Amino acid sequence: MIDPIFALSVFATIAAILAIVFWPVRGLFWYWQRVYWKSELVDVEDALKHVYNCEYTSRPSTVDSLAGCLSITTDRAVDLVQRLDELDLLVTKDNTFHLTTSGREAALRVIRIHRLWERYLADRTGLKESTWHAFADRREHSTSPREVEALSARLGSPRFDPHGDPIPLPDGQMPAERGIALTKLGVGQSATIVHVEDEPDAIYAQLVAEGLHPGMVIRVIESAASRIRFDADGEEVVLAPIVAASIAVVPISVHAHVEEPFERLSNLQISERGKVVGISPACRGSQMRRLLDLGFVQGTEVEAELLSPGGDPTAYRVRGALIALRKDQAKLVYITRMGKGGPDEREL
Amino acid sequence: MNGNCNTCSTHNVGTLVQLGVEMHDTDFVVALGGNPNTGKSTVFNALTGLRQHTGNWPGKTVARAEGAFVFGDKRYRIVDLPGTYSLLATSIDEEIARDFILFGQPDVTVIVVDATRLERNLNLVFQVLEITDRVVICLNLMDEARRHGLKVDDRMLARELGVPVVPTSARFDEGIAELTQAIHEVATRQTIGKPHRIVSESPIVKQAVDELGKRVETLYPGLPNGRWVAMRLLDGDEAIMAAIRSGELGALQQPALIRNRSESEIPGSIPAGSTRDVNTEQQEPLPETTDAAGDGIISLASELRWNIGEDLQGTLMQTIYAEAARITDKSITRPGGHSSFDLDRFVDRIVTSRWLGFPIMLLLLMLVFWITVIGANYPSAFLSWLLLDTIQGLLKAGSAQVGLPWWLDGILIDGVYLCTAWVVAVMLPPMAIFFPMFTLLEDLGYLPRVTFNMDKMFQRVGAHGKQALTMCMGFGCNAAGVIACRVIDSPRERLIAIITNNFSLCNGRWPTQILLAAIFLGALVPPWLAGFATAAAVVGVALLGVLLSLLVSWILSQTMLRGEVSTFSLELPPYRPPRILQTLYTSLIDRTLFVLWRAIIFAAPAGGVIWIISNVDVANMSIAEYLIGWLEPVGLLIGLNGIILLAYIVAIPANEIVIPTVLMLTALVGGMTDVGEGAGVIFKLDSLADTREVLDAGGWTILTVINLMLFSLLHNPCSTTIYTIWKETGSLKWTMVATLLPLTTGLTTCFLVAQIWRLVFGW
Repeated sequence: MIDPIFALSVFATIAAILAIVFWPVRGLFWYWQRVYWKSELVDVEDALKHVYNCEYTSRPSTVDSLAGCLSITTDRAVDLVQRLDELDLLVTKDNTFHLTTSGREAALRVIRIHRLWERYLADRTGLKESTWHAFADRREHSTSPREVEALSARLGSPRFDPHGDPIPLPDGQMPAERGIALTKLGVGQSATIVHVEDEPDAIYAQLVAEGLHPGMVIRVIESAASRIRFDADGEEVVLAPIVAASIAVVPISVHAHVEEPFERLSNLQISERGKVVGISPACRGSQMRRLLDLGFVQGTEVEAELLSPGGDPTAYRVRGALIALRKDQAKLVYITRMGKGGPDEREL
Repeated sequence: MNGNCNTCSTHNVGTLVQLGVEMHDTDFVVALGGNPNTGKSTVFNALTGLRQHTGNWPGKTVARAEGAFVFGDKRYRIVDLPGTYSLLATSIDEEIARDFILFGQPDVTVIVVDATRLERNLNLVFQVLEITDRVVICLNLMDEARRHGLKVDDRMLARELGVPVVPTSARFDEGIAELTQAIHEVATRQTIGKPHRIVSESPIVKQAVDELGKRVETLYPGLPNGRWVAMRLLDGDEAIMAAIRSGELGALQQPALIRNRSESEIPGSIPAGSTRDVNTEQQEPLPETTDAAGDGIISLASELRWNIGEDLQGTLMQTIYAEAARITDKSITRPGGHSSFDLDRFVDRIVTSRWLGFPIMLLLLMLVFWITVIGANYPSAFLSWLLLDTIQGLLKAGSAQVGLPWWLDGILIDGVYLCTAWVVAVMLPPMAIFFPMFTLLEDLGYLPRVTFNMDKMFQRVGAHGKQALTMCMGFGCNAAGVIACRVIDSPRERLIAIITNNFSLCNGRWPTQILLAAIFLGALVPPWLAGFATAAAVVGVALLGVLLSLLVSWILSQTMLRGEVSTFSLELPPYRPPRILQTLYTSLIDRTLFVLWRAIIFAAPAGGVIWIISNVDVANMSIAEYLIGWLEPVGLLIGLNGIILLAYIVAIPANEIVIPTVLMLTALVGGMTDVGEGAGVIFKLDSLADTREVLDAGGWTILTVINLMLFSLLHNPCSTTIYTIWKETGSLKWTMVATLLPLTTGLTTCFLVAQIWRLVFGW
């Protein structure tokens, strides 16, 4: 008979090998797959994108910034720049890079693909926001022009990606950069978020966690050297200035129609009532249509009626029906608060 | 509009002459649009006297149908457009409908609207009102609205929409005369609509529409609604851009086209599908300036699109829904449900309360199981007596009389028939009791509350709350549980629920668990604790299954099925008294048919195979004995034995024949002749002590029993379930995952338990 210790050791060894190879993200298998995808074409396109982004936001692009952005050594970056130069895509002036006309065209083509994919992921899939960028980064190198135009048509030829970045037109047309950094707003000023920078990952993750999206209306409450406190669609957010600088906003002029203060449906306690004023810009396409189909439309009265014993979801009384939503979704519905529901007020 | 005025001339149906397809020299063109399934074709038939095929499914009007009628001294040509939900031209149907309303410029557009679903239908109405003001709303299916107790105020609706509204029940010819009268008044401009138009609330959008709309109206002064064109351009509508470029849009404003057409000139007479080239023939050469100006408009729109962001679609859709809701609330009164409303609320507070919610749920679930187990005993015993003792005896006697060869008699009666009968006797009663009770709880409205209570737990593992229900269904039958996963509307969560359903211990496996626990584990403790120990062991295994299904859901949602829960919404319907008799009846029929189907398709061949491997000898040893010999080392490695593994392989079609097969094979291999029904015939023993004796002789230990209980929980689904998974997912990959995942889990678990057991307790 087989010795149990021997059998268990063999098992442990096999399990360990499998874990090393297939462990999610860090496993060897996934590593090999990434290496396989990472070809020269990918590096060239990524470099063009980097230089373009620097030009668009008026930052200088150098060998160091390029190496940092692509996670490659400076030597490799120098090689890459030479290759781009040979291909007549880029010229170097005073140690910074500038795209040639064909270089800019190529960069815009890649950016168009990337942003369309992000739009697709946001509108048509349930994938996490933090995974959009990586997915689009992979697909942008392997999508043919015809596939891109089909994708664009399917999405209703959108102009902006879910971060608020403009999607270049097929002929390369792009608007000038919009908005200013959130840090430049004064206390009490209101603005609409037009862009949430998705690089670097660490800062973007924090912004996603706070639920900040293009289209949200914010109002600055406090602006100090150490922190910026502001109200974003009814919820207070505190950010370090370096993080807040990743958000671009367009200030709302005093003449514009300013809505009365509103908050999120998830803030309602049981038997509290509110009136729907709209649905968050973070929720578009079929997801928004679903909430609308359920009856969460402007002007509708909503009452939080039941809380699950688990603490989530909450059931809301809407247009006579009782609809349960998880907190994540209730957050997407904006309301203004009304008085508490009593039996006499509860006329349907 | 005025159904109450009997003296009204509109009641004189005699003025309507149905012309069918005779369409010469028509004076007016009427377009007939509406959502699918609103009775549009019935209205068309009522107006023209034609019999266009109507049916109760959406999207039935494939090609465009045309007909004609005469009202007063005017002849009307009527064009039936495809049923659509919107005019955004995202499908061919929508494009045909929109192009006809826009480019065909009918004198009247009739929109057929379902009175019972007004809110949904208004979306299309608003869009048509954006394009033209010559609209009559045909508020159809009034008979159904009355049956649902809805009070529809058509005058209010007409006031809100700014165009005539005629309530009809086209099926009963009700309101058709009023409809033709209204069409006539709009066509002859006696009634001029002031359509309700939706204005976007966003200041940026408003500004953009104003700016672009003015440019459009200046360039095309004859257009009915320049703002609508502007709006479509801002939304990036390629079809409208193409119409501007080709000059189609410009051609619409030429007055010669609008009045005094003879048939050949009517754009609608061009066959359906080729509406693109409407107007091209009679088009005058357009002034040169229009081209440049058109391009200017397109580039202005393109520029403005950068300013308005992605907000246009979103805010506009919200505004439309809000308007639809407001107008519906104003014009439709629903039957009040106040009395039951507060009782519902009271009950809900209790069944979802923090302290009582879970206990009530567990109690109800235990009650369902208790009734199933207790209630199933009697019919099971009866079926067993009928099918196994009585009929089998008769068959045996019959075959002896006919003189069937021994092998045919063996395969057919001891193999195929016995196995089929066994599956029916074991499975039918619990299924026929368990599922009706579930259906009753669902009809009552309690099951959505269970989902509501359990959702948080499933949310944590990245699954959908409704998985709680499909899991419970799995306790009855995994195949039924897999089918039930249809209620989960997001594909990712549905797959998770399907793959993990097998971790619910099904009715075919409960008897195995109970038998083993009673014989071996119950005997380990003092007699007065035996019952409790048995129950605890079985419940423990079932709970382990629940825990594993949550764990596997979590692992799946972290690896193969990554992604966030897309949407979760759950309606908690009002409580309703269930229709007990009807439910019992239909459920009984359904389950009986299902069990019979499964027994015949899957279990019967297995019976034949089992008989053959244990009765056909090769060199003085049955096939089964060879197979057992080969499987023995693997079996021992995972704390089972070759017999059990072979039984699981041949019993893939039906878990409930595992134990009888194990007993038969043990007796066969051990050469026991004094038990069972003869060589190679599956059997069960009447007394637990006898069963134990056979299994002890087969070399079973406590480890074997524990591991068999674990393996019975954790192995591949039965072939019915595998087949169902394949049907439901339509994917070989996911079927393989759902099959191999529990099997791997089971093999690993049994291996670890066996080796650690041996390490601790020795051999």
